[in-house]
Amino acid sequence: MIEGNAVQLGKDEEIQLSKEDTKLFERLASERKAKLAMGTTEDYLKMLDKMRELEKKGEIIIHHVEEEYKPVGVRTLSGREKKIPTVELWQHKSCGQCGHIPGYISALYWIMAELGIPFVDDTNQTSCTAWNYYGSGASNSVALSAVFLRNMHVAWEKNAYPLIHCGTSYGDYKECRYLVVMNEDIRRRVRSILNKIGRDIVIPEELVHYSEWLHVMRQRIAERKKLDLSDVKAAVHPACHTYKLMAEDYTYDENILGGTRPAPTSSIILALGAKLVDYSTWYDCCGFGFRHILTEREIARSFAYFRKIRPVVKETGADVLVTHDTGCVTTLDKSQIVALAHGYKETIPVISDSQLSALAMGAHPFKVCQLQWHLADWKPFLEKMGIDWQKAQGEYKEYLEMIKKGGKPSFIRSPERTLSPRSEGMHDIKIAG
Amino acid sequence: MSDEEKGKHIVERKYVDDSRIIEPEKLEIGGIDVSGHWGTLVLPRTIEDFDNSMLKKVKSMPRGKNIEKCWQCGNCTAICPVAHAHPEFNPRYLIHIVKMGYSAEVEKLKDTVYFCSGCGLCSSVCPKGVDPQGVMIAMSIAFKSKKGYR
Amino acid sequence: MSSLPVLVIGAGPAGLRAATDLAELNIPVVLVERRKELGGAPIRWKYHSLAPDFTPTEEVLGPMIKFCKNSSNIEVIEEAVVEGYGGSAGDFSVKIRKINGEVQDRKVAAIIVATGFEHFDATVDPRYSYGKAPNVIGINELEVMISEGKVVGHDGKIPKRVAFIFCVGSRDRSTNPWCCTVCCGVSIKQAIELKQLLNDVQIYMIYMDIRTIGLWEKLYWDSMEKYGINYIRGRVGEVFYTGEKLLVKGEDTLVRGPFEVLFDMVVLAVGIEPGEGTKQVASALKLKVNEFGFLAPKIPNIHFDSGKEGIFLAGTCVAPMSVEESIAEGSAAAMQAAKLVSRTKIIV
Repeated sequence: MIEGNAVQLGKDEEIQLSKEDTKLFERLASERKAKLAMGTTEDYLKMLDKMRELEKKGEIIIHHVEEEYKPVGVRTLSGREKKIPTVELWQHKSCGQCGHIPGYISALYWIMAELGIPFVDDTNQTSCTAWNYYGSGASNSVALSAVFLRNMHVAWEKNAYPLIHCGTSYGDYKECRYLVVMNEDIRRRVRSILNKIGRDIVIPEELVHYSEWLHVMRQRIAERKKLDLSDVKAAVHPACHTYKLMAEDYTYDENILGGTRPAPTSSIILALGAKLVDYSTWYDCCGFGFRHILTEREIARSFAYFRKIRPVVKETGADVLVTHDTGCVTTLDKSQIVALAHGYKETIPVISDSQLSALAMGAHPFKVCQLQWHLADWKPFLEKMGIDWQKAQGEYKEYLEMIKKGGKPSFIRSPERTLSPRSEGMHDIKIAG
Repeated sequence: MSDEEKGKHIVERKYVDDSRIIEPEKLEIGGIDVSGHWGTLVLPRTIEDFDNSMLKKVKSMPRGKNIEKCWQCGNCTAICPVAHAHPEFNPRYLIHIVKMGYSAEVEKLKDTVYFCSGCGLCSSVCPKGVDPQGVMIAMSIAFKSKKGYR
Repeated sequence: MSSLPVLVIGAGPAGLRAATDLAELNIPVVLVERRKELGGAPIRWKYHSLAPDFTPTEEVLGPMIKFCKNSSNIEVIEEAVVEGYGGSAGDFSVKIRKINGEVQDRKVAAIIVATGFEHFDATVDPRYSYGKAPNVIGINELEVMISEGKVVGHDGKIPKRVAFIFCVGSRDRSTNPWCCTVCCGVSIKQAIELKQLLNDVQIYMIYMDIRTIGLWEKLYWDSMEKYGINYIRGRVGEVFYTGEKLLVKGEDTLVRGPFEVLFDMVVLAVGIEPGEGTKQVASALKLKVNEFGFLAPKIPNIHFDSGKEGIFLAGTCVAPMSVEESIAEGSAAAMQAAKLVSRTKIIV
């Protein structure tokens, strides 16, 4: 006979949940009733156990979320508590982000600088190469794992906790971590690669996406809010790679849409006082796909417009679509243009949650949030937020003129760090000059 | 633009129905030419509504009146000599799409109804007495006439 | 010499039938019911009529309820549960606790367990938006509406297009893997009643397999042929409330195409689960439970045999079943108890 709803969490902890006093999403997760988890929760928790075992044996180093990272706990779909570090973060940037929507990353840095949070913007980071992996392309599991662990080792060396900006990297790393921990052969082969470059296996205790960081920082961001967002209606597109890959490790909250949607991004919209709207195709991909943007761009582009943009606009009349991944912002924003040329009318600006937060905190829409890179018309949205975009545009043009004339551009810099690197950047690539 | 030319650059073109591709001859965005594959859109294939107007027409005809008895067992298609030669002709499927009112699918396949040779084998085996052969006749009339059978 | 009474736990179709049969054989009965009224699920959820022939519930259960209330051979103890037992077949001692705390110890010759079922709680499976979106209701709630002769949405509007979703909380590894056996028939019965009540309503049944077993098949045929009720083979992925209507997402597997269609009302054919009452009695009487939580008979094919001498099982506490089967099982269990009582008498 099954006694209550006993849930095995890790090796030594067991919790008893009764139907009445557990919240919905915990119940879903613990009873494996959540469809998103695909029945792998147990395997996932087993993997975390194995990780601790390997650490005890001295096979791997775990980059723990120590107290010095000032962690905040969140609940994940597996029912487990995950520690999100809030300071001393190693910024793991995204390839597409820097290329297509630079405002995304500069807004995040700006928020951290405003809140006095030290971070490391390392030049010694490589691409996760998961783009190839999803494009049925050139890579393999050993190579992907090696790239993952190389980046994690760099962060560990710098004594900063990796904060992953890109949904694809985040999803890929979660999968790679699973492979490295559970498969001895991969571990052995990866270690030999890492040893060649003077590194070893360092696995972060938690893999953290930046949207989870914004989620735990939402109250502090809301305290710094300078604009009134109560008239703004925002819809959310959760990025597939963050919450569909190793689904059990992403953040959910009973109080955010009943725990039936991922919590980050929705939570920040609510915290900023904007109206959060829901739409029927929330679970659908942005159109970017796992490989479709590479091989079937007509379908990817059409999907973005017909399955995302149109339903959002028609069903909710939202002012802005907020998401938390590079590929999603780019695809959802850029794909509208062709449809508009065809004569379709529905359009909506697409920005990241970091840009929305920064705008609300009073960041410059062009110097910091760089909305000039976004194609869908953002003017009505800025007006609704009470931003004088014409004035800001003027300021931005002046700034460009000043730089053209040889003036110094301004940079966002990290507040001074409290932690010092574990080693003196012995592996850093020396950049001449 | 002919159906064959439309969307020929789509990698998996053979899986996309012609009717779902929109590719105008000339398309411009802010003075930049995006004709051809730069401007192609593919409409979704989701069924968004049930349209029972065709069902009403078929039902109103003497030999189509039993269409609603069909429960999709496939006995008609199993025995149909034409279906063994023409994969496009499937009496079971035609009955279903008309009954449910999937108008885009009906539009795509309505010409296949004329493959029916009228042998009547289907009607002799149908466990529900749908009279598929009669339904095919009713459909062939209904698909032709805009107003329905009078 | 009068014998010890037989204890019947649960006053639904099975329990009522068992009590009635025993009383008619002049065997005294103690009938314990957890709830305030007799009749079990059909009365509790106000079943309008019973499948397959639309027989009014009153006609089936009324005479038994009346008999049990009036028979001098039956002592009805309402709002009470059995908490523990001792002794052996022919001479059990049981503890009966009333909701008000009053406890009585009784001697009984045999025990019949007929504690019934609960409907699946559809809030557990969030894809159907049950409990969140208006106008998503369970078949138990629709049955009440049909009983009252008024089927309307939360805004008082008459629904024009209604979807029934089958196998909610049934045949699904993430909730309950078994088939509830009756929900196909019950849903179809309700669809026909709905069609009779609201003439121009369009009804779509979204099913995986239609399991109208035996003579219940007639319901299925009639629903299609006489009432024009539509059937879509597939399973629903999500019910989304647009603020106005319910968007049902599924696939019509016969055309291999996804559909997303708006409905005014969605009815969930919520499955059958072993209820709290069954759980409680299993621990009180130390009965064996199978992997699904139903009471496990000694041999799966012989339902009444609990594997413990003198304790007999009947009805949906053993497996999902229809009212007619429950009634038959009640009779079968009564026969076993009567045999035991007559044997005991001879020994005494």
